[in-house]
Amino acid sequence: MRFLLRILDRLEETLIATLIGAATVVIFVAVAHRYTTDFVVSYRNLPGAMAAYKFLAGIHLSWAQELCIYMFVWMAKFGAAYGVRTGIHVGVDVLVLQLPPKWRKGTILFGLLCGALFTGIIGTMGANFVMGLSQTDQTSPDLELPSWIVYLCIPLGSYLMCFRFLQVAYSYFRFDDLPHHDHSHVEGIEVDTAVGPTPEGVR
Amino acid sequence: MTTLIIFALLIALMLTGMPISIALGLTVLTFLFFLTQVPIEAVALKLFTGIENFEIMAIPFFILAGNFLTHGGVARRMINFATSMVGHWYGGLGLAGVMACALFAAISGSSPATVIAIGSILLPAMVAQGFPKRFGAGVITTSGALGILIPPSIVMVIYAVATGGSVALGPDGARVTSASVGQLFIAGVIPGLMLATLLGATTVYRAWKFDYPRLPRASWGERWKAFRECIWGLLLIFLVLGGIYRGWFTPTEAAAVSAVYAFIIAVFVYKDMGLKDVPRVLLGSASMSAMILYIITNAVLFSFLMTSEQIPQQLTAWIVDMGVNWWTFLIFVNILLLVAGNVMEASSIVLITAPILFPIAVKLGVHPVHLGILMVVNMEVGMCHPPVGLNLYVASGIAKMGITELTIAVWPWLLTMLMFLVAVTFIPEISLWLPRMLGML
Repeated sequence: MRFLLRILDRLEETLIATLIGAATVVIFVAVAHRYTTDFVVSYRNLPGAMAAYKFLAGIHLSWAQELCIYMFVWMAKFGAAYGVRTGIHVGVDVLVLQLPPKWRKGTILFGLLCGALFTGIIGTMGANFVMGLSQTDQTSPDLELPSWIVYLCIPLGSYLMCFRFLQVAYSYFRFDDLPHHDHSHVEGIEVDTAVGPTPEGVR
Repeated sequence: MTTLIIFALLIALMLTGMPISIALGLTVLTFLFFLTQVPIEAVALKLFTGIENFEIMAIPFFILAGNFLTHGGVARRMINFATSMVGHWYGGLGLAGVMACALFAAISGSSPATVIAIGSILLPAMVAQGFPKRFGAGVITTSGALGILIPPSIVMVIYAVATGGSVALGPDGARVTSASVGQLFIAGVIPGLMLATLLGATTVYRAWKFDYPRLPRASWGERWKAFRECIWGLLLIFLVLGGIYRGWFTPTEAAAVSAVYAFIIAVFVYKDMGLKDVPRVLLGSASMSAMILYIITNAVLFSFLMTSEQIPQQLTAWIVDMGVNWWTFLIFVNILLLVAGNVMEASSIVLITAPILFPIAVKLGVHPVHLGILMVVNMEVGMCHPPVGLNLYVASGIAKMGITELTIAVWPWLLTMLMFLVAVTFIPEISLWLPRMLGML
């Protein structure tokens, strides 16, 4: 069970990191393609320019924008689930911190269960919606993917997020253990070892 | 009445400390289940189509670019350059810190990232040189806020997105479209430079008054060398701003290009991070972006609910009936945003309030770009004071100072920022002059 959970964790992390990386590359390639084509066109008298133009014009990247949007929507849904596990979702905690411990625990649990409720409802609505779509042969405009595959991220992402809320609520209820993302911490920056600027001229 | 129910529910849910995105979503669902006949199925579709918008995708790209730059030693070279230019004036490293923050802000779209990038290097150096910790922390906390005013800026993208869909009528009844990301970016340049100058002046004054250490003057040769070293970072400024202004890229494409560019200079040019660090940066950026995109998704639902209940229109009619003029309204906006800045972070505030404030402001004759810049400056102030000022927490982590002490430390600069806020509120030309000169309005 624990092993399965760990696989799920890794899968989630790999998926969202890959999606953001891939989306960046897709858009960059599309922009680069546009400018190299323009470049080749404006220097069409150079030897080999015609061949290069024919090659470039043969590649159609009009779907890049749509693909990027879908990748980011998928990343947003699964990343939000990952965020529940790491406690990155921000809330207004000014009042909660003032409450006596017993009340605080109840309130936080209420918040977490509301999260599970909301994502559960959305997941179910999304599932119905996708079911309905899969009966049709509707496709996305540029990529011509079946729409239901594109929209599949709503039920999958929301149910995963619901599961994460329940998981966090359970471990908080049992072990008082709440994930907390430290927004003031950035990986890769070690404050203590950071060296000061030493421009020449500083004695 | 409906307005009251919606907002009471939203505020009650938010006060339990649940994520803002969930509070927004649950408010919408509760309302739809019990109080109206809007088909629920429309909601599921909105959850997807709400962020199916290429402009929004600039946010993950800018976050990614920012993370590569924070890891990538660009900040250190910018600090060296700034130090060689202004280090011999009163304020020394502190003034260089303001300049370095302004430079870094021009390649990064977030304030906390700017504070981290500049502060983690500069603060220890300032303490080593004999500056009081308070002084250094105050300078960096407030100058870091320039990150969202000097373009690129994530908060500006969010403002453009949040107001993009709303129907607003000008004083003469003509339809007014919202500001584009490009217009906002260009409009942010002048206020950004002005605020940087003002913060710098405050730094110089305080340093002169208390006689803090200065650095020896750097020779032109040294300046040239420092400039050459940070040229790769500076080029990004021209790539993003120039690219958007000249129409080479859309803002989103510019963001993607700058992410790739930042990756290349961090890994291959400056070699401050290895390829093995890349997955971690990707994961961190993805989860930060997903958090913001998730709030946006639910905020879109929320503004869909408000629009279908005609709330912005009713509020507009009500305000106009009261005979409020534009500057009284803007004072009210400032107070509202400053109060909201006490409990929520910037993107949520803009997402929730902008769709409501925008139609009213436009009806009273406020330019959409002016309102946008005004909101951004408000968010900056909010980031620098407790209880939820993100910059403050970041700086307190770096400086290892308590929040209370830091709050006292920032006040001279915070006061400067508030005065600047008043100027931005009442002089629209500060925000509008440059885009108008460039023919973008």
